[in-house]
Amino acid sequence: MRAILIDDEISNLENLRTLLEKHCPQVTIMATAQNVSDAVDAIEKYLPHLVFLDIQMGKQTGFDVLKLLPTRSFEVIFATAYDQYGIQAVKSAALDYLLKPIDIEELINSVNKAEHKLATQIQTSQLDFLLQQLKKPETNVSKIALQMQSEIRYVTLSEIIRCEADNTYTHFFLSSNEKILVSKSLKEYADLLRPNGFLRTHQSHLVNPKYVKSWLKEDGGILLLMSGEKIPISKPNKDTVKQALQQL
Amino acid sequence: MGAPINTRNNNILEGWHRKVYEQAGKFYIQILHKTTHLLFQTRPFLFYGFSFAIIATSLMKIKLSIMKKIIFIFLSFFIALSTVNAQKGINFSRTYPGGGKLLMCVDSSAKNVFYANMFPNQPRTSFSYLPEVNNVSIQIYFRKDINIQHYRYTILADNKPIVVNKSINIAQLKDVDRGDEEIFRSTTLGIFPIKGKTITTLIYSIEKPLDIDKAVFYGKPIPRAKIKGFSKRFATDKGVDYNWITDPKERTNLTFTKKDEELTIVKDRSDIDYLYHTSIKDKQTNKIIFESTAWEYGGLIEEHEFLPYVKIDKNVFKKSGSYEIMIQPLIKWTGCMDCDISAKDIEKYITRHTLSITVDEENYTKKELFIYAFIVAFAIGLAFLVILYFTKKRNKKKLAEKEQQKNMAKLQLNSIRSQLNPHFLFNALSGIQNLMNKNEIDNANKYLSKFARLTRNVLDDKELISLSQEKTLLDDYLQMEQLRFGFKYEINHSENLGLDNIEIPSMLLQPFVENAVKHGISQKGTDGKIMITFIKHANDLVLTVADNGNGFDTEKTNNGLGLLLSNNRIALLNSIYKENRFTLAIQSTTKGTKISLTLTDWL
Repeated sequence: MRAILIDDEISNLENLRTLLEKHCPQVTIMATAQNVSDAVDAIEKYLPHLVFLDIQMGKQTGFDVLKLLPTRSFEVIFATAYDQYGIQAVKSAALDYLLKPIDIEELINSVNKAEHKLATQIQTSQLDFLLQQLKKPETNVSKIALQMQSEIRYVTLSEIIRCEADNTYTHFFLSSNEKILVSKSLKEYADLLRPNGFLRTHQSHLVNPKYVKSWLKEDGGILLLMSGEKIPISKPNKDTVKQALQQL
Repeated sequence: MGAPINTRNNNILEGWHRKVYEQAGKFYIQILHKTTHLLFQTRPFLFYGFSFAIIATSLMKIKLSIMKKIIFIFLSFFIALSTVNAQKGINFSRTYPGGGKLLMCVDSSAKNVFYANMFPNQPRTSFSYLPEVNNVSIQIYFRKDINIQHYRYTILADNKPIVVNKSINIAQLKDVDRGDEEIFRSTTLGIFPIKGKTITTLIYSIEKPLDIDKAVFYGKPIPRAKIKGFSKRFATDKGVDYNWITDPKERTNLTFTKKDEELTIVKDRSDIDYLYHTSIKDKQTNKIIFESTAWEYGGLIEEHEFLPYVKIDKNVFKKSGSYEIMIQPLIKWTGCMDCDISAKDIEKYITRHTLSITVDEENYTKKELFIYAFIVAFAIGLAFLVILYFTKKRNKKKLAEKEQQKNMAKLQLNSIRSQLNPHFLFNALSGIQNLMNKNEIDNANKYLSKFARLTRNVLDDKELISLSQEKTLLDDYLQMEQLRFGFKYEINHSENLGLDNIEIPSMLLQPFVENAVKHGISQKGTDGKIMITFIKHANDLVLTVADNGNGFDTEKTNNGLGLLLSNNRIALLNSIYKENRFTLAIQSTTKGTKISLTLTDWL
């Protein structure tokens, strides 16, 4: 697997190179780049399978690299130390990312996933989706990408009736009566969708308020959805849910 | 003695007026009314029974030219008097009311004629005061319908009878035409020497022997009343008793206690007691608080006669202070036809006496006073306490608010201080990870401990740290950054600056240094350089951070979170350290940026 490493800090490049060489022997590092223009040049030159892309690069960002490329036929693993900016978009596009300092297991996992994708040749437009998302205000996501076993589903938020946790997986219940299982925790989606008005009624429930029919007083509060489903409301969330529903 | 003309009793005058209406018409009489009102504002005109002509002459005397004309027209209607009567002073051919059916004339020695004085409770007594008069002529007038044979008269000179119960000599009666329809029958009772004497006439009809008309013609000076003494009546176990003060001087001090009931003023005895009027004035307010014209008799006897006295209830004297007793004859000193007496002369007839009164309500008052004082003191005290309470409460609130504000500022400062850029933190860790992975174990250890010390300093909630600690912190920070970007840096300070002893707010410079790294020299690699200085400038501490980066536009606001935070921080510091001003100066060119932070009067 041809790979290119992009980071503005030399120590980070060194570090990633060391780790990849040691733990991911299937990866061949073709080049490293410390700024956007070098990165674009390197990608166009080597046509890598995989790009490790730092988000914050001085005054520019890794997204700038993607924007400058006419075609993006490679897998991207983002790397970031701590960056509010863009990370939501990355998440909504269901793209992979690593946090610095790099956890070796996560690194191996991410590389394997990318390898799997490349092997199955799933055609995704996740990067296009990401760049589109970046154009919008961060809190106003209208669509999210859901990473399924063998495909990526793009779902508009108004389609989602509710989400329910299932251990580290999350079930999405859509208005088309479809049920999608995603291998990410409900917490991640709660963080992503809460700014868009979704209600965390319960540890295992996230509800789109559009589909709430009424508040039932039985058992200390239950939400009745238009679909007829009853969603429990846990005590600590009662007040915030009530308030949010009143504001609608 | 002139002819008895121009005089009317009340009824006659009314009739007379009617005649004026008939003969002269409304216009004149209206003027007349006005004129008489002007002249006798305080005395009812009719009471005197003046003749119209006398009014007319007096009107001329006051020289109202228009009035004169009108009066002359009146004169032409009636026979009245010739213009001779218009002379100044007393017209000695004039008759004055003498009381009852009497008229009198006085001789030319008269200067003042005080006539027609009447007194309360003495409806049939008339008193004429004729000082300086030598002789008085007294006439009696009867209406035609009166049975003159029934009348008797007695005349006394100084209480000695000259004539007793004499009948009227019918043969001497003459008809007198008064200028109107009624004809009177009149005779002279006599001409009497009066200088220094009193002539008293008593006239009655045997049909009504009790209705004696008494006329007093007083030719002596009216004596001043003399206060013979005061007595205070007070309650005792058995009834009442009296305290006496006799022959007082001008001023008397009196004390009224709870037991005292009433004050008695005793006057000397005279034949004319009824003349005297008693009044008491509060000297403070100048108000008359007591008046009496009635004298009682009894108690003290002098020369076989009871002395006159007035009683005054103690409660008339409401409070302690000076009061003036005035006893004066009830003579109409002013407003009469032929009297001209000055206030000074009137004063000769008035007895004045000052009472200095202490109203001592004894124990009860004192107790009451004490209670009052206590209540007032209590109220004042309470008000004071309430005010004090509220002031204290408000001050406390203010203080609490201030404290809260300060705490808030500190909290905010803390939150800003602990905002060591997480991006830096994780990148620093990443740098250490790199050292480890490169097997540079010693370096990894070195930087790991630096990182630990830095984060510890940042996490430390210390408000102030010494300059040397700040230097260490900056060293650690910059060395961690050096790991990422290979630049150079220097930290210098004035030699006379005791780094260990001077304290500054912690993490004061770090944000500026971070800004210098991030925006200044991160792109310059090993060429980058950062200079930090601590300078003593008089009493000010000046901290500078300079870099040789590309600079930025100080006007633009979007120069990173760091600078915004720095400005907020300076504002917060200024709100906490009010005595020391923190000022921030930023100079930025394409060759580099320099910030100076001045802590005024810090040293």
